[in-house]
Amino acid sequence: MSAAAAQAPAGIAEVGIEREEHFTTDGQQVHAARFGMWCWLLTELLLFAGLFLCALIIRIMHPASVTATTTHLKFWIGATNTAVLIVSSFTMSGAIELSRIGWQRGTVRFMLATAALGTLFLVLKGYEYYQDFDEHMMPFLHGRRYALAQDPSTILFTDLYYVTTGLHGLHLTTGVSILLVMAWMASRPGFLQRHQNRIEIFGLYWHFIDLVWIIVFPVLYVLNR
Amino acid sequence: MSGKDVNPGDFPLALWPPSASTEAVQSDHLILGFTVLTLLLTVPIFLAIAWFAVHFRAGKDVHREYSDKRNRLLEVSWMLVPFLLTLIFFYWGAKLFDIHKHPPADALRIEAIGRQWMWKFQHPGGQAEINDLHVPSGEPVMINMISQDVIHSLYLPALRVQMETLPGRYTQLWFTANRTGTFRLYCSEYCGTDHSRMGGLLTIMSPADYAQWLRQSGTSISLASQGRALFSSYGCSGCHGAGSAVRAPSLAGLYGSPVPMLAGGTVVADSGYIHDKILDPDRNLIAGYKQVMPAFKGVIPEDRIVLLTAYIKSLSPAGQDTQPGQAGPERTP
Amino acid sequence: MTPPPDSLIGTIETALREPHPGRITIDREPDYLHDEHTLWSWLTTTDHKRIGILYLLSITAFFIVGAFAAGLIRLSLVVPNGQIFSNDTYNKLFTIHGVVMIWFFLIPSIPATFGNFIMPIMIGAKDVAFPRLNRTSWYIFVSASLFTLFTVVAGGVDTGWTFYAPFSTTFSNTWVVPALIGVIVVGFSSILTGLNFIVTIHTMRAPGMTWFRMPIFVWTMYAVSLIFLLATPVITMALILLVMERVFHIGVFDPALGGDPVLFEHLFWFYSHPAVYIMVLPGMGVISEIVPVFSQKRLFGYRFVAYASIGLASLTFFVWGHHMFVNGESETSALVFSVLSFAVAVPSAVKVYNWTATIYKGTLRLDTPMLYAMGYIGLFVVGGLTGLFLATLAIDEHVHDTYFVVAHFHYIMVGGTALAFLGGLHYWWPKFTGRLYPEAWGRLSAFLIFIGFNATFAPQFVLGYLGMPRRYHNYPPEFQLLNILSSSGSLVLALGYVFPMVYLGWSLRYGAKAPPNPWNAKGLEWTTASPPPKHNFETPPTVDFPPYDYRRRETRV
Repeated sequence: MSAAAAQAPAGIAEVGIEREEHFTTDGQQVHAARFGMWCWLLTELLLFAGLFLCALIIRIMHPASVTATTTHLKFWIGATNTAVLIVSSFTMSGAIELSRIGWQRGTVRFMLATAALGTLFLVLKGYEYYQDFDEHMMPFLHGRRYALAQDPSTILFTDLYYVTTGLHGLHLTTGVSILLVMAWMASRPGFLQRHQNRIEIFGLYWHFIDLVWIIVFPVLYVLNR
Repeated sequence: MSGKDVNPGDFPLALWPPSASTEAVQSDHLILGFTVLTLLLTVPIFLAIAWFAVHFRAGKDVHREYSDKRNRLLEVSWMLVPFLLTLIFFYWGAKLFDIHKHPPADALRIEAIGRQWMWKFQHPGGQAEINDLHVPSGEPVMINMISQDVIHSLYLPALRVQMETLPGRYTQLWFTANRTGTFRLYCSEYCGTDHSRMGGLLTIMSPADYAQWLRQSGTSISLASQGRALFSSYGCSGCHGAGSAVRAPSLAGLYGSPVPMLAGGTVVADSGYIHDKILDPDRNLIAGYKQVMPAFKGVIPEDRIVLLTAYIKSLSPAGQDTQPGQAGPERTP
Repeated sequence: MTPPPDSLIGTIETALREPHPGRITIDREPDYLHDEHTLWSWLTTTDHKRIGILYLLSITAFFIVGAFAAGLIRLSLVVPNGQIFSNDTYNKLFTIHGVVMIWFFLIPSIPATFGNFIMPIMIGAKDVAFPRLNRTSWYIFVSASLFTLFTVVAGGVDTGWTFYAPFSTTFSNTWVVPALIGVIVVGFSSILTGLNFIVTIHTMRAPGMTWFRMPIFVWTMYAVSLIFLLATPVITMALILLVMERVFHIGVFDPALGGDPVLFEHLFWFYSHPAVYIMVLPGMGVISEIVPVFSQKRLFGYRFVAYASIGLASLTFFVWGHHMFVNGESETSALVFSVLSFAVAVPSAVKVYNWTATIYKGTLRLDTPMLYAMGYIGLFVVGGLTGLFLATLAIDEHVHDTYFVVAHFHYIMVGGTALAFLGGLHYWWPKFTGRLYPEAWGRLSAFLIFIGFNATFAPQFVLGYLGMPRRYHNYPPEFQLLNILSSSGSLVLALGYVFPMVYLGWSLRYGAKAPPNPWNAKGLEWTTASPPPKHNFETPPTVDFPPYDYRRRETRV
């Protein structure tokens, strides 16, 4: 053991990746993995773009109904959730930075913090859904007394809000699940030596979920408020 | 094949469709001209490929030397010249399309309603027919159409035109037939189980025969008069009628005039506007009135909306000027 | 290295005289087919070649189903009054035909089979960038398409493959939702394949394999992957909204609530027009491989053809509105979409001219793949130019939604994609299997398909111009003769499809062993053994030559 290793804080491990047999160099594998994630995010962005386009078109067709819906949505829950996700992006970046220097325990803690913030978002979102449920704003409750019933076209934007936030929530749930599994794996010895770049790749996905919410929030809650 | 006694099904094998308007003949010229151009462009290539395939077959001792020098001008020109030539046909097609999109103001207006799986046509004098359509020759005819359920498409091959019939929105199609005869009409947009049975015969008659046919076919109550009866039976006159206690906007002079909106700006009250206002009055609130009118969505079917619209139209000078039942080109929002 | 024998007899003679031509010595790595033998080893493989073969088998099965439905449709149309099948059965039949052929055959056909098998070898890679993802995408494809097939066959769906709202959302009483879910899931298999290809082409090229040393087939795979990645998510979203609309009645496409059914058409064609190029571009790539080989000459204007592929893939995103000229689109957008559609003709024409120029002064061998390629050029030109007719506004007003459109897109998809697929299958067959197919039978079936295809679809141009609308179960009696002609042509076409299945299957066991490079071709895939070893190359290749390097004539046998 060299002096450098002795000076390092306890729990600092060597960082690296395990090369798969069809790659020639480590760099090639790292590049491929990162590039692949960017491609995936591009396709995801276009998935959400279809919804944003629909939101735009509904806004053009029914400006008054959309304004009525936007003002009715729980702005403060949405705003809090935005803040929660932005903070989670910071903790995710923290996890990545710590994984780069090889501090295993710190990495795991930051990952768990990120997962906790993601869960907080989902809990707040769930509370928001519960309130909407009370007001019969859910798509399958249109038959009942609906909060904005005086203007039937509000259903369009309300339902688009459910599709969009539902899809985003699905992404976030997936993200939290992967993060928990990965945190568990990262807590075992040797993960950073073999799979450090998985944390970086996952980080891209997490930031993307955050980014999508940062577009979703103004599109659904803020514009025309 | 002229004369109205000829049925479209009389010929076992048809190779060219009959045409019944000058625009239809122009469409034929357009496609024939385009075919000639594409033949000029492609036949040399096909011949060249065939000749090369024979001439340069492996084993034959032929001159195969060529230089690697590329002639950029040639390559760019064999891309651009055909493209520019085809653009002539783009222009020609677009011009014809433009004519098809702008019916003359004095066109005879026929209302069409598509529903699974039949067409209903209503003539201005109140005559209605199912699946078959009778029109006069020699004068412009505008068909204003809407669908009761799914998307249909009214297709008149003899006139080389079709237009989709959308739910909740009027679309138009017009033509001036220049001959008489019986032709087919179809629904060309797939609409379900009996899609292929949703069609009938288009009969083009001389104006005198058409007038005779109108007299013979059923009702002589005009669309507007039928609409007036509905206007009271649906209770519209309770609020919109003269001397009503409820403060509802008067409909006299509404058709064709600008209506101020609550959200600002004005909208011209055409049949699309009246259609939407009857079915869904909560949308596009107008300035100066409290919205209390109930929605008639699911209550009044499309063919009755057409009657009510005709009645409301007859209340305004713009509608009366062009009676019976004509109106200028409409833009639906 | 013997040239392929010209006839069946010749093949058998060669096989008898020389039972194992080009036999591989025993100390080499076993080839990918003989590495492991169990079914389990195939189902758990991550080898791109085996996955390509799995795709080949599955899409062939789907092709048979789709073709069978097409046969029943043609059978029904022999009589004008629709006595053979009921109207609902007929509607379900053309939905099966459309859904199966488009989503389970044409879209994965060339990219997922040849793209998976050949493309990594062409760029000198050991495998695609994400082999496990590649396997996952095959599993997604097979399970989702079998599920969809079950719903459209057992339950039946009568919306057509276009699923137009509000018919599909409110009025159809069939199994629309499960079919939609199946199609949505199949989309992910396309996305993952596209993603894999893009990353592979970017990161896995062999040393010296620069972008402009890549064969055109790789360029077209790249272009197609871009479309997979950028267009598929939009249809996924549109179909998700359709499911939501049908289940929860959310209203986006329902005019009664203030939604707009035309919006669905826009979203649908924003994917489905590029999807046409998912089918066409790989075909162009295959033809661009075949034509230089069988002319023994460098592809004319290589860079133009490469740029044209990317140009087509980009332009195709801006022409979707030409499907909607009479669907309530505004006049201005109709004009814009019309002129943009005319512009698509330019890169397509570049390719046709350059193939022709490649043949000029070449050394031609009219073997089966070349026959398919020449048939392809002819049919693709007809299909493409009738596409220009349809892009002309006034013509589209007449022939929109008629058999003219049906004939046009079959010329592009069968005459284009299916012929290119068969041509490529014959061209790479020795590489896939290590066996030669009987050449005479190959040529015979190529002729049969060409003749049968034209006999089936050329009358449909006339029918369409006469005004016979598509998806018609009953039609006026004056159209019967042309319909009978079309149906009889389809018999010849079917025969032409059956032949290759038989003799290619026969060659697996009895065909002569193939040498590594039976066509004297220049791509990297021909420098390795037939069939290739598990890791594609004995030694990782280094590239120091341009593509289609046929100038070095001294290397010719």
